[in-house]
Amino acid sequence: MTDDLALVERFLRTRGEDAFDALYDAHTPALYALAMRLTGGDQSEAEDLVQESWVRAVRALSSFRAQSQLRSWLCGLLVNVRRVRIRTDWRMVDAPDLEPVAETGGSDDALDLERAIGTLPEGARDVFVLHDVYGYTHREIAEMLGIVEGTSKSQLTRARSLLRSSLP
Amino acid sequence: MMDLPRERQPDPALKKRVVSALVTAGLVRRRRVWPVWVMAAAAVVVLGVGVSVLRPRHTLAPGRTYVLLLYQDSTYRMPPKGHSAERVAEIARWADSLYANGKLERGGHLVGPGPIGGLFMIRATSDSDAARIAATCPFTRYGGRQEVKRLEE
Repeated sequence: MTDDLALVERFLRTRGEDAFDALYDAHTPALYALAMRLTGGDQSEAEDLVQESWVRAVRALSSFRAQSQLRSWLCGLLVNVRRVRIRTDWRMVDAPDLEPVAETGGSDDALDLERAIGTLPEGARDVFVLHDVYGYTHREIAEMLGIVEGTSKSQLTRARSLLRSSLP
Repeated sequence: MMDLPRERQPDPALKKRVVSALVTAGLVRRRRVWPVWVMAAAAVVVLGVGVSVLRPRHTLAPGRTYVLLLYQDSTYRMPPKGHSAERVAEIARWADSLYANGKLERGGHLVGPGPIGGLFMIRATSDSDAARIAATCPFTRYGGRQEVKRLEE
């Protein structure tokens, strides 16, 4: 936390590439992992999300408050960037509610789970990833996604149910 | 569920893309990009003993940084065959003496194609002071052409 604040303050003071590098290196692996999950493993889309999230984050960094964790704040930004893109991307309009899980051809449980997560409906996937993978509370998720806590809970229940029925 | 990795390294090229987008948007200032010839100085190959290259930081004399380039072109009298090391050592002694006085940041003999045979980053209080220091370089005794330029910092 203190390190993050120091990085943010250094960046705001200098606006230099070196200061940004430090922020980028500290948080991009987490942002990228989240982006890959939210996009169902689409690397190109995940990279676009990370890029757009950093642009928005840097624009808004001066409004970042020490009360929240920088990583949570960044992840929330990324999730919202993703949601805006879904609303504006015609390709996503007809996204199926749930597609069959692709054959993995192996016994790697984690890989199976990653793929199954990728097939979840968007809303359920967002909540599941943020709650069960990243450990955010329903309150935090509700704030990030602009939904009420009850919706977050019901989406999580739905996601878990879909995953149970789709995993071997 | 909690065992899934929370971090994943993206392609290194992504960082360049992100920084480029931020610079274009005026949100980040690009770090100083050194000219190619200064980058070449970082790869200076030292011949002889005692040339002051890649040494630990030391106290520099007040003033500004100037770059002294030594050209081994048509006017330069090359050392007789088998005596190159002596010539390099002579210039190295000059460089060491400047270094000891805080007047030299780094530099040395350059190896490779092209006329520039040496590069030294010196400290001087003015353009004329830089020219005076450059004139003390033994290189001039052999008809070598010099160029001194102030580094815009």
